[in-house]
Amino acid sequence: MSSLELMLLAATVIPLGSFLLLALAGARLGKPLAGWVATAAIAASCVLSGLVVVRWQGMDAAARAAARSAPVPWTVLGDVPLEVGVNLDGLTVAVFFMVTFVSTWIHVFSIGYMAGHSDEIDGRSKFHRFFAFLSLFCFSMLGLVIADSLVLTFVFWELVGLCSYLLIGFYFHKPSASAAAIKAFVVNRVGDMGFILGLGMVFWFLGDLSLAGAARRFAEACGDPGSALRQAGPLGLDMATWLGLLLFCGAVGKSAQFPLHVWLPDAMEGPTPVSALIHAATMVAAGVYLVARIFVLLTPQALLVVAGAGCITLTLGALVAVVQTDIKKVLAYSTISQLGYMMLGMGVGAWIGALFHLLTHAFFKALMFLGSGQVIEGCHHEQDIRRMGGLWRRMPVTCATFLIGVLAIAGAGIPGTSVGLGGFFSKDEILAVAYSRVYGDGTHGARPHGSAAPAAGPWAMTETGHRSALTHAVPGVEHAQASAPLPALLFWVPVIVAYITPFYMMRCWWLTFMGRPRDDHVHAHARESALMVVPLVVLAAGTLVCGLVLFRPLVAEVAPAGLLAPTVDGHELHEVHHALMPIVGGAFVVGFAVAIALYARGLSLAAAIARRLRPLHRLLEHKFYFDELYGLVLVGGTHLLKGLCDLFDRIVVDGIVDALSASTVRLARFSGRDLDERVVDGAVNGVGRTTWELGGAAGSLQTGRIRLYILLAAGGVTAMVWLALAAGG
Amino acid sequence: MGSITLMHYLVLGALLFCCGLLTMVVKRNAVGILIGVELVLNAANVNLVAFGRYRGAGIDGQAAALFVIVLAAAEAAVAIAIFMNFYRHLTTVDVDRGDLLRG
Repeated sequence: MSSLELMLLAATVIPLGSFLLLALAGARLGKPLAGWVATAAIAASCVLSGLVVVRWQGMDAAARAAARSAPVPWTVLGDVPLEVGVNLDGLTVAVFFMVTFVSTWIHVFSIGYMAGHSDEIDGRSKFHRFFAFLSLFCFSMLGLVIADSLVLTFVFWELVGLCSYLLIGFYFHKPSASAAAIKAFVVNRVGDMGFILGLGMVFWFLGDLSLAGAARRFAEACGDPGSALRQAGPLGLDMATWLGLLLFCGAVGKSAQFPLHVWLPDAMEGPTPVSALIHAATMVAAGVYLVARIFVLLTPQALLVVAGAGCITLTLGALVAVVQTDIKKVLAYSTISQLGYMMLGMGVGAWIGALFHLLTHAFFKALMFLGSGQVIEGCHHEQDIRRMGGLWRRMPVTCATFLIGVLAIAGAGIPGTSVGLGGFFSKDEILAVAYSRVYGDGTHGARPHGSAAPAAGPWAMTETGHRSALTHAVPGVEHAQASAPLPALLFWVPVIVAYITPFYMMRCWWLTFMGRPRDDHVHAHARESALMVVPLVVLAAGTLVCGLVLFRPLVAEVAPAGLLAPTVDGHELHEVHHALMPIVGGAFVVGFAVAIALYARGLSLAAAIARRLRPLHRLLEHKFYFDELYGLVLVGGTHLLKGLCDLFDRIVVDGIVDALSASTVRLARFSGRDLDERVVDGAVNGVGRTTWELGGAAGSLQTGRIRLYILLAAGGVTAMVWLALAAGG
Repeated sequence: MGSITLMHYLVLGALLFCCGLLTMVVKRNAVGILIGVELVLNAANVNLVAFGRYRGAGIDGQAAALFVIVLAAAEAAVAIAIFMNFYRHLTTVDVDRGDLLRG
């Protein structure tokens, strides 16, 4: 194993050690110390992964390829060998660093956050449990990032799901929290069912469970018209498509994509740092990460489904976020919407753009969630933004950092330059690729603008020539990019939503921090906690610089071969970016302006509009009635099925059992009372009684009178003699 | 009246036997029963000697009679020892009282 791999492995295992320590001795460590142990562990991981990033940056392509060692054999499944290793490439390094960095600061924030929360259940502190779970989550998430085989991915996939469940239900004595935890777990099971079926198909059809091996076999199989993967499956799609779609199901569940998005808003029942870490920055992005890793296993039809799911999700999320009044719910729906953008990006082939968006989103969404945590904590657990307002005076740092997050998610930047925040590049990159796929000539690998000149500035970091050496991508995967133009909706819907995003984020920020205080009680007590401010500032700084400079090149070098040129070559992307400028460049200005105009004078104007558009408002307020629909169809259906099963159980099964038991009783009564008691017992007792009576009769002869014996003996002898004489005579 | 024949001895033996038997049956005194036993044994002796004399068996009958006499003496000794214990337990030699083994 190379030293880089060892460093990543160590950085993964350190949080596991912290988890074990806290699980075993956490209660003894006590309230602040347990948190600092977990924080130190993840900070150590962060430092290690930072070193990996630095060294990685200093290596050329050949050294990077050499740093990756062969996987270690683990076991054999049937005749398929299972090998495990560290999936060392630019994407791993980038995501690994993002997870450790964001986690570290969220840990720091958590110590401050949990300090103000009652964490006692039945008089025993659960403080250490919180950090034990966080450490376990970090281990699982990092393991998921470095896993190089689908089986290992699945194992860590389930582990992060478990941690998510544990942490959503951290306040399990609250019925809503435990219900949300169960909902998240069950909805994720639906997706994971697909994932494991997909794993089964990979095992069956490809016979290689490592990411690289599966990709190679898949490419071979798709190149061969006679292979089993090209057979038609259900719904007119071939088996190759189904394989990808089933694996994608797992991502749908984990990344809260339509139609399994319903669990994420409820997951906000967990402590706010958990919402920031797991349900915004890292775990929910794991679905996108998975799609990125299995990208080469997705056929064009499958990618169209991915894009469609992403498109629906980003629209739903953004529309619902517009009317939410709970600050965390706004952020939750905005997370769903942004995850939809990433999925859309994957679906249209904006591989780099989607992952780039994943990384920038992790920073600014963690930042905003922590900001909301600060607000909620400062306002004594008030989460309704209608009751806030004017908090900028009380929480200046939170207000400023939150604004940076809002600007980043809105895609703010100066049009025509390379100056902007995360979303300005990452979201627009996705849109640019979508545009090329819809309106371009559609041939992948082509360079629409013909120029391969190296671009200046931060775009010029990519070395396209070395890509294929570093990835699983092989020349055979081209079919995955085959090239009918995509439906125009896949471009225009995200563009429209790009106008809605700044609106709802600015609405959230404005209602929280600007205007006049609407609730004097909330306002009067609001305060900032020093320990919680530090992570906000760090993450804000990260949002400002880290995303573009660091992450995009790291991700880009891993991109599968044969992607659309604009996503790979910065210069051409730049041109598309410019070309799109009239369409989306001013989106954030428009969105902000509308939001400020609506809410500058408080809630009355918005309320009036809501009254006018009552049906629409209610539809959005009820989140498109998805919970109700699922409640009616799935839960109701389950109840109906339960009722039917109950009836069947009562009538048929119980009937059979009852009849069986009744006949057994009858048989027992016959054999016990009639057969056993009368016949068997009668025989035994009869023998006994006869013996007894015979004994009594014989005993009555034994009078003990010796004279009688003599008389009888004499009489007997006399009788015998007489008989003998009579016989003889 | 002819001479004395075997039948006479046998009748005598039978009478003697019946007397002994009757004594054993009617006497409640243990010593009486022992006397009855002696009578029965001697009835047997009479028969033994008579058969020995009249059936030409030499002195076999007399030898057997002597054996019986010796046996009777030994038996009397044992019997009297039993009576002693009998008396010690029950302070009587009435055999009707010794019915501890009755059924």
